[in-house]
Amino acid sequence: MAEVSLRHIKKIYPNTEKQKKKGDVHRVSHLKVTAEGVVAVDDFNLEIADREFIVLVGPSGCGKSTTLRMVAGLEDISGGELLIDGKLVNDVAPKDRDIAMVFQSYALYPHMTVRENMAFPLKLKKVPQAEIDKKVNEAAEILGITEYLDRKPKALSGGQRQRVAIGRAIVREPKVLLMDEPLSNLDAKLRNQMRAEIIKLRQRINTTFIYVTHDQTEAMTLGDRIVIMRDGEVQQIGTPQEVFDHPANLFVSGFIGVPQMNYFDAKLLKADGKYTVELDGKTIELSAEKQARLAANDVEPQDITLGIRPEHIALFGEGSEMFHGTVDVSEMMGSSVHLHLQSLGKDVIVIVPTMDLQGIHHDGIKAGQEIAFTFGGNVVHIFGKDEKNLEF
Amino acid sequence: MDGKKKAGFFKNPLRRWSWLFMGPVCAAFAIGFVWPFIQGIYLSFCKFKLIRDAKFIGFGNYVSAFADETFKHAFWYTALFAIVSLVLINVLAFTIAYLLTQGLKRSNLYRTVFFMPNLIGGIVLGYIWSMIFDGILSHFNTSILLESKYGFWGLIILVCWQQIGYMMIIYIAGLQAVSEDMLEAAKIDGATKMQTLFKVTIPNVMPSITICTFLGLTNGFKLFDQNLALTAGQPFIIQPDGSNIKTTEMLALNIYNTFYNSSSGSQGTAQAKAVIFFILVAGLGLLQLAYTRKREVQQ
Repeated sequence: MAEVSLRHIKKIYPNTEKQKKKGDVHRVSHLKVTAEGVVAVDDFNLEIADREFIVLVGPSGCGKSTTLRMVAGLEDISGGELLIDGKLVNDVAPKDRDIAMVFQSYALYPHMTVRENMAFPLKLKKVPQAEIDKKVNEAAEILGITEYLDRKPKALSGGQRQRVAIGRAIVREPKVLLMDEPLSNLDAKLRNQMRAEIIKLRQRINTTFIYVTHDQTEAMTLGDRIVIMRDGEVQQIGTPQEVFDHPANLFVSGFIGVPQMNYFDAKLLKADGKYTVELDGKTIELSAEKQARLAANDVEPQDITLGIRPEHIALFGEGSEMFHGTVDVSEMMGSSVHLHLQSLGKDVIVIVPTMDLQGIHHDGIKAGQEIAFTFGGNVVHIFGKDEKNLEF
Repeated sequence: MDGKKKAGFFKNPLRRWSWLFMGPVCAAFAIGFVWPFIQGIYLSFCKFKLIRDAKFIGFGNYVSAFADETFKHAFWYTALFAIVSLVLINVLAFTIAYLLTQGLKRSNLYRTVFFMPNLIGGIVLGYIWSMIFDGILSHFNTSILLESKYGFWGLIILVCWQQIGYMMIIYIAGLQAVSEDMLEAAKIDGATKMQTLFKVTIPNVMPSITICTFLGLTNGFKLFDQNLALTAGQPFIIQPDGSNIKTTEMLALNIYNTFYNSSSGSQGTAQAKAVIFFILVAGLGLLQLAYTRKREVQQ
């Protein structure tokens, strides 16, 4: 249980002497490179409340793991302040930060039994044996690994090993529990199961969670708040609903939500103080809420990227604002059908609930079929050419 | 053999020609190892000057081998040497390997430097080191050949210098295979550097420790050329019965000296000693392997 504050946290990997001499510093993906070195995390600010579940999410190399490792004390902090429960811990050793960490690779000690693995941190703290036994048994009970306590990790499956790793972390009752892609090594089914178990676990133990993943589904389902990162910079911080409904920029809108948001080149128009969007010669009326936001930001009429989520597109609508497309691929997902349409020169994805489909097309939708679709002005996202959401 | 299998045998060129590749190795192994080994065991029960005139005499050679004071001395001397060198070489090699895997600058250069002595032959090393030791000891008006403790520690220094680099490479490979995540987990779990080393790192490099202790033990027992070149067993102790014991003579050198001794029947005794020596080294090696293997962990 603890509050965690990350204030202007920065991580710079210094250039090597060789690079400095040669005067050339390599670009590592899109990370910023300064005279000091490669900036892996830049000006990270986040106030984490007590018992909050924070998920850091982003593509590979975005700095999410580096940030977590800085909180853990496994990486030096190049700049800024890290506070746990109001105490500055920048230079405090990992063992004195009262944190625990679960690794993607489980990082169990292969020469110890499950019981010894879980007891290891307590033994190092010189906790009395009776208390160690009690805590280990309790944690094993919570995680359903009691029957494996006397086995070695090699005799366990991936999911069981990950439970042991979580067990080793929770026996210590840490202030902050850090998880670095804990489910990435598991297969899809087990991942779903373990995800649900982490949600349950969270209800049973009183601690602050910081969870790193590249999987947006995990981020959406687990996090109280999500931090979306790219190239070492925070893109947006918000609840799953907020980042889904109001993505701050094009990157966030594309990263959150499966399948990805559809984008069209369109024009934002303003007449008599009222904003409209023109797409393919058709006018889309915007909701009052959006109007107000755009007006508040004093947004000028301009070329925009219009974003629309696949689940917000309706088929078979009526009216003059209909768009037409040809079905490329129809993917039956069970509860819904994902349609890939060729329309407005783009590959447009539409999610149609199977229930809706049955009433109209009993045979399903075939490739090559012509189809009409539409969407409302209340669900579109308007991004400027600088990729920022104009409503922000 | 059914038709299918037969067809497979002739279709698969690797199988068809395997004898061509295996043959020379098998022949060399049989001619160079298996046959001399069997003949050696037979000869240990014979009296002979030449192999052709070997005469079976039963256990006589073994009786005289066990009665030989020089052999007993060489055995205890070798055992002591093997234990001391085993411990020193392994501790030092592991320490150097551990330091060189801690992200030290120019660690590759150090690895090469530490490994290089291993490339020099034992006889050459023996003569070089005898010059070095005598150079130093001459300041104290003595020589490595005059006191057996100098001979002992001289040989220990020599084998350490020669073998640490080799063992270090094995330990480095083992240490590099220890997962970084596991060490970080230990760090977070609250282990100090020493606790991490003894409770996490060392149990996970047991396969390397097994190999290195096996090599150290057998190398220690089998040492010959360094022993011959450095002291050749000197100094002597003259026994009341007029015979002399070479105080720094190890088992292999003792067997060699016995074989080329001019007295009649000594070849058979040397042969018996060689068989005892083989049983000893093989037995010790297997015992040690069985012991350390149990401590190895699988990931």
